[in-house]
Amino acid sequence: MLEIKNVTKKYGSKTALNDVSFTVKDGEIFAFIGHNGAGKTTLIKSIVGIHDFDEGEIIINGKSIKEDPINCKKVMAYVPDNPELYENMKAIDYINFICDMYEVDQETRETNIKKYAKLFEIEENLNDPIISFSHGMKQKIALISALAHNPKILIMDEPFVGLDPKAVYDVKKVMNEMIKEKKIIFFSTHILDVAEKLCSEVAIIKNGKLIKTGNMKTIKGDKSLEKVFLELEG
Amino acid sequence: MKKIVSLIKVSLNHDMNIFKINSKNNKILTRYIIPILLAIYLMIMLGIYSNKLINILHPFKLEFIALTLFCLSISIISLIEGIYKSSSLLFNCKDDDLLFSLPIKKETILFTRIFKFYVFELIYNSLFILAPMIIYAVKLTPNWTYYISSIISILILPIVPIVLSCIIGYIITLISSKFKGKNLVQTIITTAFLLLILYISYNMDSFIDNITKNAQSINDIITKIYYPVGAYISLINDFKITTLITYILVHIVISVITIYVLGKVYFKINSNNKKVINKQSKNNNKNYIIKTNSKTISFIKKELNRFFSTPVFITNAGFGLVLFIIACILLSYKSDTFINTVMKTNTGTNINIDFIYNIFPIVTFGIITFTSFMTSITSSMISLESKSINILKSLPIKPIEIIIYKVLAALVIMLPCILIGDLIIFIKFKFKLTSIILLLISSIILPLLSELIGIYANLKYPKLDATNDTEIVKQSMSSTISVFSGIGIIGITIVLLYYLVKKGLSNNLVILITLGIFTLITILLLIILIKTCDKDFKNIE
Repeated sequence: MLEIKNVTKKYGSKTALNDVSFTVKDGEIFAFIGHNGAGKTTLIKSIVGIHDFDEGEIIINGKSIKEDPINCKKVMAYVPDNPELYENMKAIDYINFICDMYEVDQETRETNIKKYAKLFEIEENLNDPIISFSHGMKQKIALISALAHNPKILIMDEPFVGLDPKAVYDVKKVMNEMIKEKKIIFFSTHILDVAEKLCSEVAIIKNGKLIKTGNMKTIKGDKSLEKVFLELEG
Repeated sequence: MKKIVSLIKVSLNHDMNIFKINSKNNKILTRYIIPILLAIYLMIMLGIYSNKLINILHPFKLEFIALTLFCLSISIISLIEGIYKSSSLLFNCKDDDLLFSLPIKKETILFTRIFKFYVFELIYNSLFILAPMIIYAVKLTPNWTYYISSIISILILPIVPIVLSCIIGYIITLISSKFKGKNLVQTIITTAFLLLILYISYNMDSFIDNITKNAQSINDIITKIYYPVGAYISLINDFKITTLITYILVHIVISVITIYVLGKVYFKINSNNKKVINKQSKNNNKNYIIKTNSKTISFIKKELNRFFSTPVFITNAGFGLVLFIIACILLSYKSDTFINTVMKTNTGTNINIDFIYNIFPIVTFGIITFTSFMTSITSSMISLESKSINILKSLPIKPIEIIIYKVLAALVIMLPCILIGDLIIFIKFKFKLTSIILLLISSIILPLLSELIGIYANLKYPKLDATNDTEIVKQSMSSTISVFSGIGIIGITIVLLYYLVKKGLSNNLVILITLGIFTLITILLLIILIKTCDKDFKNIE
């Protein structure tokens, strides 16, 4: 379970996150939506331990990211919006490096790397340096390295940006498989159609403050998510 | 013109932010006080040296020779540094795509980058030559023409080294862009150029002899050796407005021609450079290796990969290490000449051949100290993470582990070179076992301390938004702190060694005491790092 409790984060005088609270239960796909600069990336970076936050608490499977960051990170995987990978490394070396940091055993990594590299059709490029990759290819490498250690919680920031349609379809397929295994997926997106079709839960953030959170069906009712979002933003 | 000013403003505003300290309480005092103190410290040291030199030259009325030496030295240093800076400052910038897509002339982009290069060189040059110029003015109270000539020279002296560096940088980039292993080729050619310059510098005797024979005065000699310094010395000795105008015009013409000619090929070479980067293997290769390593090995491999794929990083650190090995070979090879000279100059004193042989362990210790503290690899390692620092921050590893792995990687690079140098000396001079053990421990402790200082400085002053690697390796606050603190430590060590030897302590005891002090500082710094690195690492954004 992922619990966000009254999280506040300030950059100088600007409040990036203002008393944000919600919970993501096991087996849920949670969409986090909001306009540019609303605070989505700030919250995601706080959850995965990249940013510190000023007030509140983030609990991952019963452990606080502030108190016990290492054990929290061990069960999570993070896919950033702009995959800034180690560009001078070969793709396979990068994935191996991430697996080593998560202490993934040889058998698990072999199974997962082969499975996802094949799925994302990037097997033939794994021996190439990342610097030669397009944005989409880097995104695929970030996804493979995130999935290679079987995370219980997958946190993604705009995961569909730069991916080709086939890869978007494959990512959605992987997300559905993970949910069947009672894992958590939390991601931010601007593609509201995908969020509407894929997610069971949703949170809408505006200027650092959560303005709506809960079950997708309850929140949108008979309307489309896009219409609800535009009404709330307006 | 507006575009140029705007571009220069944006780029300098971005790059001059080297003094940004990694602290949430980023007060102006904290931000400026350290650089100012460092500058004052360096200028005081140089002031003391120049004062001594001017005093020696005073009876012969040749005080200007001191200025000549400082100006020539800084020009050579600028040229050497410029060669490995220029390829990445001009040709491998992260903002290439943005700038080349804007409606700006390619020459304007090149001019902005060369101007940025010039501003940094101007700051560094000023730090080195201001003190001697001030001391000269205080001692000799020259008239106003001295001040005009000196101010203009400060502005002009960086130009020729920069122009030469840009041309050599262009040649290096042009050649290396034709190869698949671009970085390796660039490193090899850069190192070859640097060694060539050193070789020429050490073999200038016959050239200078020839000039001396045909010259009419010392001014004439200096002008023939290196015009920019010669013209400056002429101006302070015998000010003529025509000399001044020629001096300025020559440099303006050189700059304009360089920008014009390089500007013509600038876009093409940048595009070629990117073509090599974007080349993927054409063979469908599914034979990738999935291999498990320990965290330590994996992390060190990652760091080594970063090191060996960054030419400016290799040249900056590797050059000193290669010079260390060369120094050890020379010390062994030319030891007899050195001993004979010392014996001749100390005839009648209590210095005998045994004393000289006994002093060699201390000399070796001094060389190890010099190499260790002039080579700081870790001072750039966090900054070079750039935006991928977020990958590290999201991984389940403690910040202190990251710091230790980075220091270990630096030691993996440094130690083999230092140990090779040690081995050459040990074989030649047949040191006693105690000396060998002490020097071997020194070869580990001293680089360790140097790298701990480097990583601590980089934790405090990370620079994650650099547009190229040179800004991090050569122009960041952390690398400047490491270099200056290294110079300070080397100076203190020399004084300490001299004091202890003079006290009549045995050589091994001298090394033991100095090493003991270094070990204590290392432990202390390690404790500080363990206590503070969590917070500092979190604050890196």
